[in-house]
Amino acid sequence: MKKLILIALLVPLALMLVNCGGGKPKAKMQDIPEWYLNPPMAEDAIYEAGDAAKQSMGLAKEAADARARDAIARTIEVKVSNMLKNFMQESGIGEDAEALEFTSSVSKQVANTVLRGCLITKREMKTEGALYHAYSLAEYNLNSLIQESLNEARKQKALYNEAKANLSFDDLEKEIQKLEAVGQ
Amino acid sequence: MTRLSSIIVPVVFLLNGLTAQIIIPEWFEKLPDSPSGFCYSVGYSGKYQNQSLARQVATSRALSNMAKQHSVRLIFEIEEFADGRFRLLNPSFELSYDESVLLDITANYTPIDSSITNEGYYILIACPSIEWRPQFPSNDKTWEKQPKWTKALPNSRHYIYGIGIVSNYSSWIRAWKDADEYARFDLGKNIEIEAESIHAVQRDDRFTIESKILRLSCDIVLKQSFIVERWYDQKNDIYYSLCCKERRDNPH
Repeated sequence: MKKLILIALLVPLALMLVNCGGGKPKAKMQDIPEWYLNPPMAEDAIYEAGDAAKQSMGLAKEAADARARDAIARTIEVKVSNMLKNFMQESGIGEDAEALEFTSSVSKQVANTVLRGCLITKREMKTEGALYHAYSLAEYNLNSLIQESLNEARKQKALYNEAKANLSFDDLEKEIQKLEAVGQ
Repeated sequence: MTRLSSIIVPVVFLLNGLTAQIIIPEWFEKLPDSPSGFCYSVGYSGKYQNQSLARQVATSRALSNMAKQHSVRLIFEIEEFADGRFRLLNPSFELSYDESVLLDITANYTPIDSSITNEGYYILIACPSIEWRPQFPSNDKTWEKQPKWTKALPNSRHYIYGIGIVSNYSSWIRAWKDADEYARFDLGKNIEIEAESIHAVQRDDRFTIESKILRLSCDIVLKQSFIVERWYDQKNDIYYSLCCKERRDNPH
């Protein structure tokens, strides 16, 4: 009788533990696309990968695409910010509050505005139990980034002038355009 | 038991044949190149007892596809909220086209070819109205092997592409309609999309909690976009559509 009670107590406990430990099925390593683990690197483009596991294939695809594009937008912010900071430091005004504000403002605006030509170049769909796992690779051409940075920097000209009155705005444009050589 | 299975098996096979799409006209899988100044569009319908009704439904779909090819407004938005405990994803799609364009097309088109298979009725139309019948392969066939574009977007200097994918539809007609529309949305997003997000990461000794609010949106008018290829993965029941548009900066 005692054994029966023990079994009756242990069985639900074991089932609970199995259920807690189970969770969502994990993707098999050999199923994960190589380009997701190691996104391609190129001088003239930025690549970022995104993934999502959902019960609906359409939803998984949309979420994976959105995450890949969002990763591109965040990379852009860092890239533009570094580019402007380098220029400001070379010009000797890198630590000015206005210069920092200008750098941050332009890079945030470029990252948060429209991504033109941000392509989802690769996609793979895998099944994991009842879930669809979508992997997406987004590509953004650096030429588009340069153009967006220039447009935004022009818009923020007033802020730049506050940062440093004696530096011509043309210097900044030239500095940004230097990147175009890389993009070609 | 043997008698029962001999009844069930053909019935299951018949039902499967009614929902799956096995035989298709060549131009349904791959849209032929149209003569200069003309556009082709494909329409399809399921099996009807009244064949003229099937033709009517397929033609109506071909006409609305032609109107979408001409010009379509796409409004897309996806929002994702995640705070470590829950995750919300909310996509929305809105597609519209000008009714007057549809009326113009309805008044000026020519049926080029049509086909009846076990699964449905298919029609290919040309707009504006065409006097002579262009020559192209018009055989019915089974699906080809998986094309490369289902995994990687075609790379072209002159064209920009989008891919639509849908799965687990009980009706192949509804599936193709959605796959075609998603392909157009995909193309639109590839051209232009607005991205905004806020990310925050909170770490302690044991856990990392990532919170984010992500929003991507686009509102774009697509002109001259074509569904140029379709492919059905029979094994996994997945429908793929490839949408194509000439690049705006294309010199030709």
